[in-house]
Amino acid sequence: MSSISKSEKAYIQSSLLSDPPLRADGRGLTDFRTVALESGVAPLANGSARVSIGRNAYDGGGGTEVVAAAKLEVETVGDGEGVDGGRVVCSVSCSPTAYPLLSSNALDDLQHDMTSLLHATLSHPTIRPQNLCILPGKKSWLLNLDVIIFSDAGNIFDAIFMAARAALWDTKVPRTRSVQYRAKKSDRKDATQAMDVDEATHTGSALDTRETVQVSDFELPDYWDEGEPLDGRQTWPVCLTLNLLPTSHFLDATLQEEASVPLKLLVLYSFQSDTPPLLRSMRLLGTGVSDLVQVKSLLKDGEKYARIVWTALEGKLKDEDLRRNQKARERFLNR
Amino acid sequence: MSSRIELLNAGLLRSDGRRPYELRTLSINFASQGTADGSVTFSHGLTEVRVAVLGPREAKAGSRRETLHDRATLNVEVQLAPFGVGERRRRGRGDKRLLELAATIKSTFEPVVQVHLYPRSTIDIFIHVLQLDGGLLPACINGSTLALATAGIPLFDFVCAIAGGVHGTQPLLDLTTVEENDIPSIVVGVMPRTGRVTLVQMETRLHMDRFEEVFRAACDAGKVLWSEMRDALRERTSDLVEALEAGPGAFAAKEVEEI
Repeated sequence: MSSISKSEKAYIQSSLLSDPPLRADGRGLTDFRTVALESGVAPLANGSARVSIGRNAYDGGGGTEVVAAAKLEVETVGDGEGVDGGRVVCSVSCSPTAYPLLSSNALDDLQHDMTSLLHATLSHPTIRPQNLCILPGKKSWLLNLDVIIFSDAGNIFDAIFMAARAALWDTKVPRTRSVQYRAKKSDRKDATQAMDVDEATHTGSALDTRETVQVSDFELPDYWDEGEPLDGRQTWPVCLTLNLLPTSHFLDATLQEEASVPLKLLVLYSFQSDTPPLLRSMRLLGTGVSDLVQVKSLLKDGEKYARIVWTALEGKLKDEDLRRNQKARERFLNR
Repeated sequence: MSSRIELLNAGLLRSDGRRPYELRTLSINFASQGTADGSVTFSHGLTEVRVAVLGPREAKAGSRRETLHDRATLNVEVQLAPFGVGERRRRGRGDKRLLELAATIKSTFEPVVQVHLYPRSTIDIFIHVLQLDGGLLPACINGSTLALATAGIPLFDFVCAIAGGVHGTQPLLDLTTVEENDIPSIVVGVMPRTGRVTLVQMETRLHMDRFEEVFRAACDAGKVLWSEMRDALRERTSDLVEALEAGPGAFAAKEVEEI
């Protein structure tokens, strides 16, 4: 998002293309900056996470910082936008601090672009979690995933998807119990066969002879935990941004590096254990052009890098689960 | 028995266990936020705001005509995280309540910031509310004071704001959402060094006799806040001075030592 001069651009490009490639912060072409992740940062949300890429060591500030939070709402199916089985709605908003040079209209456009990619990828019916349904055909959960970009120091899409994945991983769906109202069988029989019905014990309508024994509402049982984890923890993809130079590519670009490459390729992969890697989405951003042969080889490389990111993220998320559940319990017991 | 929460019980304890004049925990974090010149994450109890100050700088292309020839203009923008409140609701940039909040903050700081030093420029104050549990305006003002100070913008004085209310005849300080919804409340912004007041806001009815009592308590609380905020700022500044004296790489070395 930063604008740099022609000579600065040429300088960055030529050092990236030199042998060995040089980057301002001394990283190799496929090295990431430090990624930090913390889940459970928004106590009022059902799941949340904060991701920062490349923050400085001394005060934990700087770098790209993104917070994602998932919040569940009950929705009536067939009433407005409600869909049977629940749905996922994503939105991205940018703090003006992240893009201090953009006008508010430009900021809105940028938010819209990011939202469209996130929403299109995560709300796809094929990866919709199974436990968003409360009562089939009647009530379902609407999952709102809100991502806020607090600062952008490059590689924003990777950060957004990491935060989104971590927040969804962290999401707990409240347990529900179906409730139904029905008249006693004996009363119903009385009502249809004989006219002299005892009004005191009669609970259903005498005119209602339909056999509609159906679940009609739900309640939230009081239970010690916040609910069961959102289904499909394995399906949420990770994003990998490949910054394309004429002959090579590099990962995790800083703002200056981003401004000096003409083309970026975003690949989104998910690696479930039982199926081959799935390419969930792909975007080519920027003003340059690419061809099929190049894209093919990039996809292969992208998959390799994405798997590394995936494994690291998975490990961290499991760590966070431990930290927030098991270890917290132990700490509580050892007090 | 009513199902309403008892705001102040017979033992003079409030719904969250505080005494009437007790303030909630403050936490002040000066971690840098992107390219902002001054930034702070200010949390007061469960209310948490991030404030970033950019400037003084040339105005953005769209608002350049609003700059003044003899002083800097303050530009305050407030955003509310959709997950920060109980009921999720997306408030856009044009939301009336947020605009009003921004206007209040702007008018509070206009007499405090030495704007005459920076003609034809703007100072941006961007506030992001992460969590909301009462005392939004005070948290925004206190956060902005600290962010302006860390940005190195000359101020005549701090502005320390605090909410106060009355339950029955007992004045309370630093209200939570539950209390804010139920009892008459005022917000007072004091300049502790001079003892002047730059902001008094009241949206509910309050008896004259009670007002003075609450107002005085809030002014005193402002001074208490001041000492906390000043200490935090001093600590940061001394860290910076230390780092300057130690030369480059000192922060990294310190980090390694701590590990």
